[in-house]
Amino acid sequence: MPEIRVTPLGAGQDVGRSCILVSIAGKNVMLDCGMHMGFNDDRRFPDFSYITRNGRLTDFLDCVIISHFHLDHCGALPYFSEMVGYDGPIYMTHPTQAICPILLEDYRKIAVDKKGEANFFTSQMIKDCMKKVVAVHLHQTVQVDDELEIKAYYAGHVLGAAMFQIKVGSESVVYTGDYNMTPDRHLGAAWIDKCRPNLLITESTYATTIRDSKRCRERDFLKKVHEAVERGGKVLIPVFALGRAQELCILLETFWERMNLKAPIYFSTGLTEKANHYYKLFITWTNQKIRKTFVQRNMFEFKHIKAFDRAFADNPGPMVIMPGYCVQGTVGHKILSGQRKLEMEGRQVLEVKMQVEYMSFSAHADAKGIMQLVGQAEPESVLLVHGEAKKMEFLKQKIEQEFRVNCYMPANGETVTLPTSPSIPVGISLGLLKREMAQGLLPDAKKPRLLHGTLIMKDSNFRLVSSEQALKELGLAEHQLRFTCRVHLHDPRKEQETAMRVYSHLKSVLKDHCVQHLPDGSVTVESILIQAAAHSEDPGTKVLLVSWTYQDEELGSYLTSLLKKGLPQASS
Amino acid sequence: MDPECSQLLPALCAVLADPRQPVADDTCLEKLLDWFKTITKAGSSLLLLQENPCLVELLCHVLKPQDLSSRVLSFSLRLAGVFAAQEDCFQYLQQGELLPRLFGEPGPLGGAAWTAPSVRSGWIQGLRSLAQHPSALHFLADCGAVDTIFSLQGDSSLFVASAAGQLLVHILGLSMQGLAEGHPSLQAGDWPVCAQKIVGHIEESLHSTAVPQITQALNVLTTTFGHCHDPWTQVLWVRLSPLVGSLLEKDPVPAAHSLVDLLLSVARSPGLSSSSCGLWETLAQTLNHLSPTQAGPLALGILKLQDCPQVLRAQAFVILLQPLACVLKATGQDPGPSDVLDSATGDSLTVDALLSSKAACVGLLCRTLAHLELLQPLPQRPCPWPQEPLLGAAVTLLQLCRGSASPASDVGRHLCALLLGCVRVQRAALDFLGTLSQETGPWKGRVGSFFMSVSGPQELVTEVFAVLLEYLRSPDSSPTVLKKAFQATFRWLLSSPKTPGCCDLEPHALLVLRELLPVLQKRLCSPCWEVRDSGLEFLTQMTRHWGGQAGFRHALLASEVPKLTEQLLRDPESYVRASAVTVMGQLSSQGLHVTPVSPEHPGGQQKSLLVELLHILSTDSEGFPRRAVMQVFTQWLRDHHADVAGDTEQFMARVLQVASQDLDWEVRAQGLELALVFLEQTLGQFHSHCPYAVTPPVAAPAGPLAQALQPLCRVRLFEFAFRALFDCDRPVAQKSCDLLLFLRAKTASSSGSLQESRSGPDVASVEAALQRWQAGDQGQPLGDLEPEVVLAVLRSVDLEGLRGALAEGSDHMEKSPQSLLQDMLATVGVLGENEADCY
Repeated sequence: MPEIRVTPLGAGQDVGRSCILVSIAGKNVMLDCGMHMGFNDDRRFPDFSYITRNGRLTDFLDCVIISHFHLDHCGALPYFSEMVGYDGPIYMTHPTQAICPILLEDYRKIAVDKKGEANFFTSQMIKDCMKKVVAVHLHQTVQVDDELEIKAYYAGHVLGAAMFQIKVGSESVVYTGDYNMTPDRHLGAAWIDKCRPNLLITESTYATTIRDSKRCRERDFLKKVHEAVERGGKVLIPVFALGRAQELCILLETFWERMNLKAPIYFSTGLTEKANHYYKLFITWTNQKIRKTFVQRNMFEFKHIKAFDRAFADNPGPMVIMPGYCVQGTVGHKILSGQRKLEMEGRQVLEVKMQVEYMSFSAHADAKGIMQLVGQAEPESVLLVHGEAKKMEFLKQKIEQEFRVNCYMPANGETVTLPTSPSIPVGISLGLLKREMAQGLLPDAKKPRLLHGTLIMKDSNFRLVSSEQALKELGLAEHQLRFTCRVHLHDPRKEQETAMRVYSHLKSVLKDHCVQHLPDGSVTVESILIQAAAHSEDPGTKVLLVSWTYQDEELGSYLTSLLKKGLPQASS
Repeated sequence: MDPECSQLLPALCAVLADPRQPVADDTCLEKLLDWFKTITKAGSSLLLLQENPCLVELLCHVLKPQDLSSRVLSFSLRLAGVFAAQEDCFQYLQQGELLPRLFGEPGPLGGAAWTAPSVRSGWIQGLRSLAQHPSALHFLADCGAVDTIFSLQGDSSLFVASAAGQLLVHILGLSMQGLAEGHPSLQAGDWPVCAQKIVGHIEESLHSTAVPQITQALNVLTTTFGHCHDPWTQVLWVRLSPLVGSLLEKDPVPAAHSLVDLLLSVARSPGLSSSSCGLWETLAQTLNHLSPTQAGPLALGILKLQDCPQVLRAQAFVILLQPLACVLKATGQDPGPSDVLDSATGDSLTVDALLSSKAACVGLLCRTLAHLELLQPLPQRPCPWPQEPLLGAAVTLLQLCRGSASPASDVGRHLCALLLGCVRVQRAALDFLGTLSQETGPWKGRVGSFFMSVSGPQELVTEVFAVLLEYLRSPDSSPTVLKKAFQATFRWLLSSPKTPGCCDLEPHALLVLRELLPVLQKRLCSPCWEVRDSGLEFLTQMTRHWGGQAGFRHALLASEVPKLTEQLLRDPESYVRASAVTVMGQLSSQGLHVTPVSPEHPGGQQKSLLVELLHILSTDSEGFPRRAVMQVFTQWLRDHHADVAGDTEQFMARVLQVASQDLDWEVRAQGLELALVFLEQTLGQFHSHCPYAVTPPVAAPAGPLAQALQPLCRVRLFEFAFRALFDCDRPVAQKSCDLLLFLRAKTASSSGSLQESRSGPDVASVEAALQRWQAGDQGQPLGDLEPEVVLAVLRSVDLEGLRGALAEGSDHMEKSPQSLLQDMLATVGVLGENEADCY
């Protein structure tokens, strides 16, 4: 029995370290290869030993697909390809390929420079890894090999983020990665066609959240920033998620322009600046508004926002806005959880006097968005990843109720196995096709049509041929099978007269058919034979014996129902 | 445990035990457990529990029927296991019947929580930690845990199933540890209860018809024999080998992959392989029974064994070679009268496997090539090694993939159709081809007398280069294939013979090079950055090896390659610019970069490479090219490159000034590397560089010291190093610290005789500047420092203390247990607000 197997090595009832193994029609694909922000040791990467025990990685895996450049989706990639030893193809979109090394370099910097870790992947390894990447365009069907094909769809979320359809024969899986169903200031909304995959693997970060209006959040954010600046204060916005930095830059830039504000805005050079270069380059990936205004000016060429220089550094002002999540083990986490005293190096204790605001600007689909995508793609089943177990449970029920499909939420290491119906190709004989064409109906892919024939299995192949040809090929004699039906008619006349009345009636109704009255008194319409007989008990009733072959089944049924309605009264 | 943590612990335990309080995330609990493991490793668990009764309370509390999160339950099971690993603590916990309630039927095992894989995993890991002493074994037997572990071997979670198998191995080993030394009894009745039970289960599983059960049993045995070589393992193998052998009677052989692992694990164990249970016969039988795909890893494993009967090795080698032998035969090539290859060709099973489908064909060939690639460099590889047929096979495969082979046989044509355009086989074959260049030296005419190839070795080598060039030229070659083709080409060029006393390329290799350079030229103009970069990396390797050789130099200079490389310094892709910088640096060092006369200014020259590289260092927006420039400069300084040697001080001053402003820490760190080289050259060799060096540091003579330090002062090396001491990037500060400590050691013995001068900034002002820098203030430049001031500052700064502080990671405060406890407590209440968000 063919089946699709899915095993999350990361992101199973968990956020971070996305890595999902999918086995579809004998092909093995790894979806994302991320790291976990919360760990500094081996646990930060998925445990690949569960794959290596199947033999050489490059032999086992047909390809790796990276959905977008965030480190929880690609942070383990150089480790996997250059240190664990995967030497096969890696697929991602062009912007992801361009921006990925920037984030990986930054990750390396933090690990090696800040935390002093040895045995981490090197810059050369990042480069060698990126050279194994095959970049894909949106909606381009890419043949990984003769049987396996993949196709990327726009996912919003961040520049270059894509959902991937993985297809082998008639079986397919769609993996969403992270996506956003509502357009933001610089990106559009995720979209997928009604591809009806066997399985949709979707992220479920906001499985239970219906997000308030983005406008409100933005207004709130701008108000807070504006107030602080008006008071003569300074606002520090540590935006660590690439993509969000660009979103906030556009938001602030537009606001500054509208309000004609003069207070300077700086952004730290480095990551954002480097990425801005690619945001300018891949303008086609942004939303319509940005593309439209591009003719006049590139939205990422900021007027008010200037690169930060160390010379500007002084004590931060009274407010810090954290536009995202911070893991335990960081100062950000401490500040967000409301700790007012921070112990710094050398037992020095800093008092947190500033106002702290947490505002979520992360671009994930909320519960409504996830349901919307399920509705769009119309999958046969759904599998939830990249979320918390409790929230997933809620969404799972909702999906099962609303779409009447199975929904799964495996934990890391758990395998979900889905049986699939095999698609069996059947060849149709030319004769049969010609016969169909003779009926005047041209084949139309959008209008499925019934086709009668005999299915023959020979040499492991299926063929649909006409029954005559089947008999001939198989050397079989034909057996006639007739359907019979009795129709009771109230008619006191003699049998011959009743038969005559039936003949006249049918002749008038069935103008296109050959209706005959035979010398023995029976009536025929094509292969249908009608005989009238007297009722043994009631002389006022005649019994019409109708019989037909299966070829004329439709006409036979029609005639029977017609006769059951009775005969018209004779005009004479 | 320090008092601060001890104080925080009760509150945290209360939070964990409260089902209304959501726990921050899994990582916090994992880190908490790590901390407890560290504490219990260093001290008594019993004492810990007695001093912190909240811990036992927590363990008791999680057992109460309530809607506790599976994370906390899993954590508690693991924690209990960590504590109970010490026997006295185990007894302590047993007094309260806590352990049976946690790990026995009444615990989570029988409850709804058991459906969560994390709880099952916690249960297993808890038992794994606990199973360290005889009391634990009794406990396991009494509470019926072993039966549960058996069933968990087939768990839906890979992690749980695998951990269950590992736990069984551990329990088996632990229970057999108590057996008397000497030859353990073969009678099962004499073995400890736990061991009997596990072995009984393994036997039962091996008798089973269900493949997963057989796999589980085989995996437990593989791990056991892989980890433990005690005499009892021999008894176990003697007892189980007939059962394992009986698996071979089934068709198809069940759990073939695991069976191969087990047999190899037994064969690697000296005690087991020598036991008289017909291991070699079983291996031979297995080789015959398995499909070509399954037999490959076994054959490789056998050939890697140190001691193994020759007949078996020969059989294994034949199996391993079969797919390639088929390819040779199918393409009408006679592999020669070699016993090995001849017997390898006749296998119809392999032909069937190769031709059954494209996926099977590609899979089998890639695996075979990878196995042979692994085997080739090993000392125990088969001898004679069929170098020529293997070369022929690799070349043929590459030709088949390109469609440039035209086999006459049906099988050959079928193969050609299957392999045409197959990138996977291309990559594997190119890797293998590269490996074959090593050491076998067909150039040297070292051809084994066993092979009488149709084509001679020289012809084969010509064919190798022809196919490599074909790939390098082909517009169809993918970037990854091209990279491998470049690598293989370099390896083959490297293996060319060297005339004694001359390491120039052999004439044939030079001919190849002349054909190669136009191809490289084309590839350097590829629209694909990956290809341009691979081309530059190839050029770097070639220049490094033959940059000094006349033939190479002549060929290279006659080509457009150097000019194109120079143009790539302005490539849009930073990786390519960095590679171009490296190559240009090397070409210049070897005198292969001649600054051309500018056509626009016939009188003058175009700007020199030094200027160009300095321009990149100061203006390139990306770090990679700037890092590459610093590496080139360091190498140039080491090699006394003419452009640098002309005015080294000016060069140093300029580079250090630019590097100090760089935002990339690696560029600044490279600046210190450069400074160190300059320091060495100025002050003489640093013998104290290696702390283990026998020679004591040689102090510079006192008199000329100030004089010697003068150039360092003039290039402002000290200001650069002092600033770097407080760099916000740790490795830079560490490097600077090392450099200054070095300098101090070198000058220690002579500094006393120096008189401190007052002409420049004095010691106090330098120290004040250092303090400002430490506080994060950028400040003004120091100005010209006098050597005496430098020496005084060196003595007054606590470099050792600084080095100690720098040894800690930047997050060491946040990583401390106290910080973890504080964070977990602080999250309570705010979690609902912020929820787990992500990027």
